[in-house]
Amino acid sequence: MRNLATLLFLGGLVFLLAAITGTLPFGHPPMLVGQAIQQAAKPEVGAANVVTAVVLGYRGLDTLGELAILFAAATAGGLVLGGVQAKGRNNALPAAGFVLRAGTDVLFPLLLIAGLYVVIHGHLTPGGGFQGGVILAAAFFLPLLARPSESLSHIWLSVIEGLAGTAFIALGLGALYNGDAFLTPLFDKGMFGELVSSGSLPLLYLAVGLKVGAELSSLLMRLAHDDGAAS
Amino acid sequence: MTDVSLAAVLPLLGAFVLPLTRHGILRPLGPVIGPILLAACALILFAAWSAYDVPYAVALGSFAPPMGITFYIDDLALLFALAVPLTTLVLWPGESDPAATGRQSLTLLLAGSLTGLALSGDLFNVYVFYELAAVASYGLVVGDGRSPAYVAAFRYLMISALGSVVGLIGIAIIYFKTGTLNLADLSTLSGELADPQGMAAFAMLVIGFGVKAEAFPVNGWVPEVYGAVGKRVAALLAGLASKLAVLVIVRILILVFPHDETRQLLLVLGILGVAVGELAAWQARDIPRMLAWSSIGQLGVVFVAFSLPGKAGVIAGVTVAMHHLVVKSALFLLADRWDRAIESLKGAASTSRIGAALFVLFSLSLLGLPPLPGFWSKFLVLGGLAASASPLQLLAMGTILAGTVIEGAYLLRVVVTFYARPDAAVRVPGQRAGNLLGAGLFALVLLTAAVMINPLWQGLEVLAERAVDTNGYQHTVLGDREAGR
Amino acid sequence: MSTSVGLVFFIGAIGLCVIGITGIVLSRHLFRMVLALAIAEAGANLLLILAGYRWDAVAPIFTGTAGGQAMVDPVPQAMVLTAIVIGVGVQALALSLVIRIKERYGTLDMQEARQCMQDDLDDAGGVTPSRSRERPAGERPIPAPTVLNSTGGQHD
Repeated sequence: MRNLATLLFLGGLVFLLAAITGTLPFGHPPMLVGQAIQQAAKPEVGAANVVTAVVLGYRGLDTLGELAILFAAATAGGLVLGGVQAKGRNNALPAAGFVLRAGTDVLFPLLLIAGLYVVIHGHLTPGGGFQGGVILAAAFFLPLLARPSESLSHIWLSVIEGLAGTAFIALGLGALYNGDAFLTPLFDKGMFGELVSSGSLPLLYLAVGLKVGAELSSLLMRLAHDDGAAS
Repeated sequence: MTDVSLAAVLPLLGAFVLPLTRHGILRPLGPVIGPILLAACALILFAAWSAYDVPYAVALGSFAPPMGITFYIDDLALLFALAVPLTTLVLWPGESDPAATGRQSLTLLLAGSLTGLALSGDLFNVYVFYELAAVASYGLVVGDGRSPAYVAAFRYLMISALGSVVGLIGIAIIYFKTGTLNLADLSTLSGELADPQGMAAFAMLVIGFGVKAEAFPVNGWVPEVYGAVGKRVAALLAGLASKLAVLVIVRILILVFPHDETRQLLLVLGILGVAVGELAAWQARDIPRMLAWSSIGQLGVVFVAFSLPGKAGVIAGVTVAMHHLVVKSALFLLADRWDRAIESLKGAASTSRIGAALFVLFSLSLLGLPPLPGFWSKFLVLGGLAASASPLQLLAMGTILAGTVIEGAYLLRVVVTFYARPDAAVRVPGQRAGNLLGAGLFALVLLTAAVMINPLWQGLEVLAERAVDTNGYQHTVLGDREAGR
Repeated sequence: MSTSVGLVFFIGAIGLCVIGITGIVLSRHLFRMVLALAIAEAGANLLLILAGYRWDAVAPIFTGTAGGQAMVDPVPQAMVLTAIVIGVGVQALALSLVIRIKERYGTLDMQEARQCMQDDLDDAGGVTPSRSRERPAGERPIPAPTVLNSTGGQHD
């Protein structure tokens, strides 16, 4: 009976969604805004990666909201799992095997460099603060897997989180000081395609990368610690 | 001139900074950052309102409107935006336990996102702010660590996330068909969205944004969450957050989907909400869940009101929504100490005379006793329904009237219990001074509104006039470029 | 060529949405619900990406060599970036809630957890439950003080 209900539900849903989306103009989007942005991005923002121009320039407020959502999730996760240490569940897990530990030692600096590279080149190549931030978080999470008894400092993570978020907003507020609207890109556009170009975008992405990295690390760390190894 | 967008951004800034004050020399700053920033937001919005003359748009990042995100500022947006910092200030979680910083951060994030919802004129930006409000409210629900809150929050999260996925599909369909997200731009293209696909997209958006607005099919989380959380948080979610979600749906309805079918969808959802909510509230036997179900019923009335076409709909809707914001927040504040079975509150009036009196006042306004604003709000809705009187609208009228009768039954039952002879065996806890003060402030707002009906009415006329002026909206945001489409 | 390839993408997007939504609605296992949510979000994101796809167009990045070639719409890509990050945050929070529910109520079954929650709410409010309970009042299933290794999955 339950299987039948599942099947009916599935069939109905497939039919509904297929009927709704079936005739959408796939492959030939109207691109009302997209076209305009493609033409305007080069002179207005100066980032070779148009997606970055959209993420940090045209839709910068979305990105701020997104950072705030990650922050809210990390804070809420802290509220949910925060009580663990207080309960004193202190049975540390044993250290991982040799391969994982040695691999971690080799990978950690490489991941760090790769993450920072992806963050800093976000306005030129595919990648950026979010992608790079995830790599950074992975870099800091690996040692946690290898040596569960050690851990990062929550205080430092929250300081990085707070400062990076503040920096993003401060860069946005800087535009207000100039008399522009919030989040208007600052500084000179520079040479198109150079590393130091497109104004304040690389700085914004650096803040995003640090914040994402710190937040994901602290989320992962809380989840991992609740798995039995409170520091 | 100060930038209105600051009102949405400053709370976020405060939330980011707040954890830094947990350690070191900044510690004494911690408890005051939130209230100061919220007060600053309220001041910014007040200043914007006093300087406000005609609706205008703010292009964030100084990018020309259809490309960048715009904030649209008119009476409707300012009214709802102003309600956010003020209500949040009254309901501010001022505790000082270790988890308080987290809760305060989340409250600030909620306030910032709700202000953003009120001002934003971009479909995807609305989605982002809505998600931020949702995540912040999950955190607030689990904030004080009661066991049932975890399950309630998980269910809330799942329903809400399901709604978000559906809403995102709706946004994808709209983008497929139009290639833009700016509400003004979409408004010029509303003809392209008038087909069944567009209707489906609207229905999906209503499901998505309706979760927080406690719309009918996706409100299963409401009684559990409001039963399990601290009542200040419940007041924030039921009173404030739900209204901003409604505002978003209404903006989309007015600007992008001004069709009879979409109005009827809201009307049907509203009728179902009223019927289900009031009947379940009648069945509920403890105060929090009674208030939760009754809030679903009231939001049903809000939906019915906004489904009325033209100015009348906006006037009625705004009145009902604002009235419910004030009354339900206050009732949840009073329920903070009285969050228990109704029969165990016998003689509550003798423990806290003021608390019981305020409860009676708000109950009467909720019912719609003539001099109180609740009467006018219901009067406007019923009058509007009677004016057009299609079968569905007559059904809505009947449902609302029947709902009012049921409402009267359960609210008066509570009031009678309050004023019954105290039971010697059960001690009813007294009210906390802070909650009484908050409820008193809400009562003051209510009574002021009752006295100042005339100027309020004129203000509402102007507000509604501008809110339904889609051409004005398009022109304000896009300038002259929309001509020719 | 174009229609058949387009069909594959669409089937993928809609299929993921359907699997995910079905999982959320019909599954009772908390962890599976979180997984289903991840799948549903992937489907919605794929659909959003498709909204900006153009045939014979390149990624929206200006490079030195490719001059004047058509580029796909950058806006949906930016939106999906946002949506993915939102999804990650929500899923992490959901997982932490699952851990806590398992610890407090000792169950990963939605029905049982809801039952426990309703009982707790009734107790807190002093409402006498209308139906019989399988456990006597006041005797919550005390969470066993075991390490949660057996539930697994949190590392993934």
